[in-house]
Amino acid sequence: MKEIVVVSGKGGTGKTSITAALAFLSSEAITLADCDVDAANLHLLFGVKYDEGEEFYSGQLAKIDQNKCKSCGRCKAVCHFDAITESEGQYFISQIDCEGCGYCARICPQTAINMNDNMAGKLYDSTTRFHTPMVHARLGIAAENSGKLVAKVKEKAREVAVKNKSDYILVDGSPGIGCPVVSSLSGADYVLIVTEPTVSGIHDLERVYEVVKQFDLEAGVVINKNDLNISKSKEIKEYLQKNKVELLASFPWHQEFSESLALGKIVGEKENSTLKPILIKLWEKIKESI
Amino acid sequence: MIIAITATGNSLDEQVDPRFGRAKYICIHDTENGTNKFVDTGDIASLPGGAGPKMAQKIIGEGTGVLITGNGPGNNAHGVITRAGIKVYAGAQNYTIKDALAAFENGELEEF
Repeated sequence: MKEIVVVSGKGGTGKTSITAALAFLSSEAITLADCDVDAANLHLLFGVKYDEGEEFYSGQLAKIDQNKCKSCGRCKAVCHFDAITESEGQYFISQIDCEGCGYCARICPQTAINMNDNMAGKLYDSTTRFHTPMVHARLGIAAENSGKLVAKVKEKAREVAVKNKSDYILVDGSPGIGCPVVSSLSGADYVLIVTEPTVSGIHDLERVYEVVKQFDLEAGVVINKNDLNISKSKEIKEYLQKNKVELLASFPWHQEFSESLALGKIVGEKENSTLKPILIKLWEKIKESI
Repeated sequence: MIIAITATGNSLDEQVDPRFGRAKYICIHDTENGTNKFVDTGDIASLPGGAGPKMAQKIIGEGTGVLITGNGPGNNAHGVITRAGIKVYAGAQNYTIKDALAAFENGELEEF
């Protein structure tokens, strides 16, 4: 079983669309994992519904025990996040603004402040409309994706993949280059980077590739919307050549992407899809590279 | 010398954990007397962020001279580790702990 992680650095390059298309078109057994938890939408394309799910805890939030509080206000004075408000002599901690640093709990003379584990969201182990197993998560209000949650999604996906005897785990990675991306990449066998010929596309490709290099992982690149800006596309190709990274495919800008998205369908799903042959070729190339 | 190895379980027959920061266990191998100690690092794995630097701190505290891991460490943790003078050997995720130690002794692991 091999794990392929798809990343992009920049948002909007087509990372999720391409991940979905590869999972849909491959003839191998796949388990999907959506680690783009902040803006998860892989489940929309695959027609997955959120069911009961498994509660996921991350970090802590402070709460005042009003029976013990003597309203001295020292907690409000030390809070760096303006999370504590006073109303008619009573103090309250906003569960949205609290960052869980624990300063207030530490200095409270009455020890009236408790640090409680924060239910950040839920983890789901679902089946798509194509019967592909898929592990994904949904965050609560004001909760953020974390390396921990990504690790959890990946760990669950591995469990599911073993149970289903999947050949590949296909991971829709987190955007950016921070902690969730580091966590997405850990344990990968191959990294697919999706980029586009724009100033920010190149900039973020370089940044995310630096992270991939740090992990000593095999990587290949797809340029999406290749004909949007020919000179920028050339710039990407030169960068890849210089860094000895394989260019796996170049996709033209194609209406099928936005059309499919509008219909909640996967690119390559409609009959006589123009992009289907390029996508299948891309998948073959990825398999050869692993 | 102390060799720290990221481990998926607490025995020498378990696989090397590809993760650095959120590894399940860390095996502390002392080359002087050949002893192995497994440290449960579940507390680090449950941090929402900054697991890598925390794990770096942990292995520095153990007096580590060499680290054997899989894909690790990310940039932040790597900075801490190299500044502490620890040598990193990555790409060992397909070995068991026992085999990884043998591979290291035979010079089969590559310094990262």
